[in-house]
Amino acid sequence: MAKVELRGVNKQFGSVHVIKDINLTVEDHEFVVFVGPSGCGKSTLLRLIAGLEEITSGEIDIDGARVDHLAPARRGVAMVFQSYALYPHFTVAQNMGYALRVAKEDKAVIDRKVREAAEILQLTEYLDRKPKALSGGQRQRVAIGRAIVRDPKVFLFDEPLSNLDAKLRVQMRIELTRLHRELNATMIYVTHDQVEAMTMADKIVVLRDGRVEQIGAPLDLYNTPDNRFVAGFIGSPAMNFFAGRAESVSDAGVEVALEGGTRFTFPCETPGVKAGDVVEFGVRPEHFSIGGNGDGGSDGALKGEVYAVERLGGETYLYLNSGSYRDIVAHMSGDAPISIGDSVEIGFSLARSHLFGPDGQSIR
Amino acid sequence: MEHRRNAGLETWLMYIFLIGSTIAVLYPIFMMLMSGFKTNAEIFGAPFSLPKSLNLDNYKTIWTTTDVPRYLLNSAIVTIISVALLLVTGTMAAYAISRYKFRGAIMVSMFFLAGLMLPLRLAIIPLFVQMKSMGLVDNLLGLIFIYTAMSLPSTVFILSGFLRALPGELEDSARVDGASELRIMVEIMVPLITPALVIAGIYNAVPIWNDFFFPLIFIQTPENRTLAQGLTTFFGEYSVNFGVLYAGLTLAALPIVVVFIIQSRRFIAGMTAGAIK
Amino acid sequence: MQSTDYESVRRARTRNLKLWLALLLTPAALLLIVFVFIPMGSAVLYSLYEWDGLARKGYVGLANFSDILFDPVRNKVLFHAFWNNVKVFVTLMIIQNGYALVLAMLLARNPRGYRFYQVVFFLPVILSTVIVSFQWKLFLNPVFGLVNKALIAVGLESWAVPWLGLPETALPAMMLVNAWHWFGFPTLVFLAAIHRIPTDFIEAARLDGASEWRIAREIIWPLMAPAVTIIVVLTFIGSFNWFEIPYVMNGLEGSPQGSTDMLGLLFYRTAFGSISAGGSDFGHGSALAVLMFIFIFVFSILATKYLTSREVEMN
Repeated sequence: MAKVELRGVNKQFGSVHVIKDINLTVEDHEFVVFVGPSGCGKSTLLRLIAGLEEITSGEIDIDGARVDHLAPARRGVAMVFQSYALYPHFTVAQNMGYALRVAKEDKAVIDRKVREAAEILQLTEYLDRKPKALSGGQRQRVAIGRAIVRDPKVFLFDEPLSNLDAKLRVQMRIELTRLHRELNATMIYVTHDQVEAMTMADKIVVLRDGRVEQIGAPLDLYNTPDNRFVAGFIGSPAMNFFAGRAESVSDAGVEVALEGGTRFTFPCETPGVKAGDVVEFGVRPEHFSIGGNGDGGSDGALKGEVYAVERLGGETYLYLNSGSYRDIVAHMSGDAPISIGDSVEIGFSLARSHLFGPDGQSIR
Repeated sequence: MEHRRNAGLETWLMYIFLIGSTIAVLYPIFMMLMSGFKTNAEIFGAPFSLPKSLNLDNYKTIWTTTDVPRYLLNSAIVTIISVALLLVTGTMAAYAISRYKFRGAIMVSMFFLAGLMLPLRLAIIPLFVQMKSMGLVDNLLGLIFIYTAMSLPSTVFILSGFLRALPGELEDSARVDGASELRIMVEIMVPLITPALVIAGIYNAVPIWNDFFFPLIFIQTPENRTLAQGLTTFFGEYSVNFGVLYAGLTLAALPIVVVFIIQSRRFIAGMTAGAIK
Repeated sequence: MQSTDYESVRRARTRNLKLWLALLLTPAALLLIVFVFIPMGSAVLYSLYEWDGLARKGYVGLANFSDILFDPVRNKVLFHAFWNNVKVFVTLMIIQNGYALVLAMLLARNPRGYRFYQVVFFLPVILSTVIVSFQWKLFLNPVFGLVNKALIAVGLESWAVPWLGLPETALPAMMLVNAWHWFGFPTLVFLAAIHRIPTDFIEAARLDGASEWRIAREIIWPLMAPAVTIIVVLTFIGSFNWFEIPYVMNGLEGSPQGSTDMLGLLFYRTAFGSISAGGSDFGHGSALAVLMFIFIFVFSILATKYLTSREVEMN
């Protein structure tokens, strides 16, 4: 198992610059997730590490050795593809053993390794079947098995769960986490689904437009996003944003005025804004307190009119408008006697709120 | 498609038409087959009756005293080698065009497509001169090269359509698994287009097997003649022995008809491949 | 430093890939260039020279072309043959493709034995044209042929003529043979085209109360236009390259009395020599080939253009 390092990696397709100066370290045994909206370059980045695309400039090291000039197979990586990419005319066993066969490995060794991997993934009884005769989840496991058999330094996953139905996805998520623990392997995982990222990753890399927006542990990204993009991308439902004005900046923090007269001083050390700047105030739906109910505290509040209520039994989502702030989402645990048209006060605590400067960066 | 059952007359007319057409096709072929078992006297005296017995004398005559078996063998050699060469070179070119991005890729595909529109028959004179200088006149190898070359455009066209449709992740996966480009092509990708290879093979094998024009120009000595061309010689030699002639025709038609009956679905798909989008 | 090694590895991989691509493309490209493109190109060149057998003599410019088109003797033969090709094209369009269209429409109604009919109708298509020609030459033999025997048997003695021996019947007989040989091909192409029309269209029309005839004319026919285009163009190319049937059935001279003479036969006689045309003449032969190519090519393009303009997009 090994550490992966990217230094100043760039990729251009003709004149299109898709990966822009990426610096990144994936530690040994780490499960790292690349996440971002479609077109952010996360899959391309993975393919650059795999060697399926050539980098335009920069350097990629795996296990301390430079690999970006090498063919994929010589980089010590294995990859699980979105479509699984199982060879349709091979049996499960042949699929899993293909890389070893190509490497002219001894037949007995191939057989043993395939059986071991099949054991781990509960595929033993399907070894002689063709992929066509398997369910989606089984195919997925064969694809993973094919990677395991190669005993790679790094596992690469390209949106491997996106073709599965919701229930199976949850199951495979847990299984992959277990597998990571068992194999104690370095894994890089690409997804556009931030829930997958949050639940599986040791470390998340948020990408946008070919650039790294933030790198950190899931809860760090959740609690202390570096910028407005990460704040909005991580967390579901997404954070609510309220445009406001920085009235004054002092040692105590930034005094913010929201529309409708709400004012508060947001405590911070290096404000990076000056009086008169437009700022954005962010509160996650689950951090509001409604009518004194909840842990939101009451450093300030907005008054809104409820236009939709979603009752899920254990929890309730309220959709509100408040002046020019539209489509605010607030979360409450349990049920609440609130109905459409009600006017509700939603309170927030500054400790669990976020403030972003005109450049989108967090003010902390 | 459903159609109304009450349209009784229409249905009757339809079946009369279809059955009539069937008889129009099968009866002449049946008569050819039957006449091959007859003596001249039977053919002239009782042309429409069944042969008295399955008399194989005509076939014996053909097998022992004519070159027809030789023609059959030559046609088989030419067709098999041409189609094999065609599928190998055609697959290689189609693979390069459809699975790789490289500068000039469009130019290369245009180059192959241009061949689709060139009727080689009309270039027979320069071709003859050129083949003569290459020592390929009166040589089965010459026919093989011509057939392969003139069938390449359609083959590349059919195969690249299928190759382009294969998922790229398969190729990527094999690359990560360490397979060489050759191995990816031969072991992973090409086996997946076997149906297309069959279609392209039939599409070209039938006209090659049946071709008359190129042997007519290029083949001179009797032992090099192919079937279609050899039949003209055979007809010249046996012009008065109808029984032998019918038997010869039956024998000549037999191989392809048998294959057709076994594989009719593939044949129809293959031969109409160029005309159905 | 390591970087030089790194660069050379990378370059070697690019080079190997280029080499691999070249390897893939070379055999096919070479075959095509040597046996198709060079001869096709040379045909034009050849037509500009005078030839003596296999030997090229002087450059004569467009003289070969003007000979063929304007020399009174040659010109007469040429236009006579050309007119016969026109007759073949028009007749085949009507009897062969028209018949095929009717059959395709009937087969589209999914009659019992649907697969069987397809196989039967396609059977003559896979036979060699030479076999078909000889078979029918035997059938059409004036004395011993089955056709005349059958006519006599049903009391039509006066119809029992030497079909291939009379100028007025030889060409029609050959065209019928061609139709017998090929009708299965357009039938199945048309049928495939009809099957591609979404059933919804036809069912919708049926629900609207349209008659079968109206459906055929107003829904199926316009929507199968692409197949019609292809068949028209293929029939055209086939008709103007018509060679095997007239050659095998009545010989190189288009007998009787030139009634079955075709451009293909004329080209062969001119190029490789015959009783009537004398020795082999590559110059005039090539010129004729170039003219035929231009004519077929231009017509095919124009026909495709015109016919595709009436095609409707289905989606």
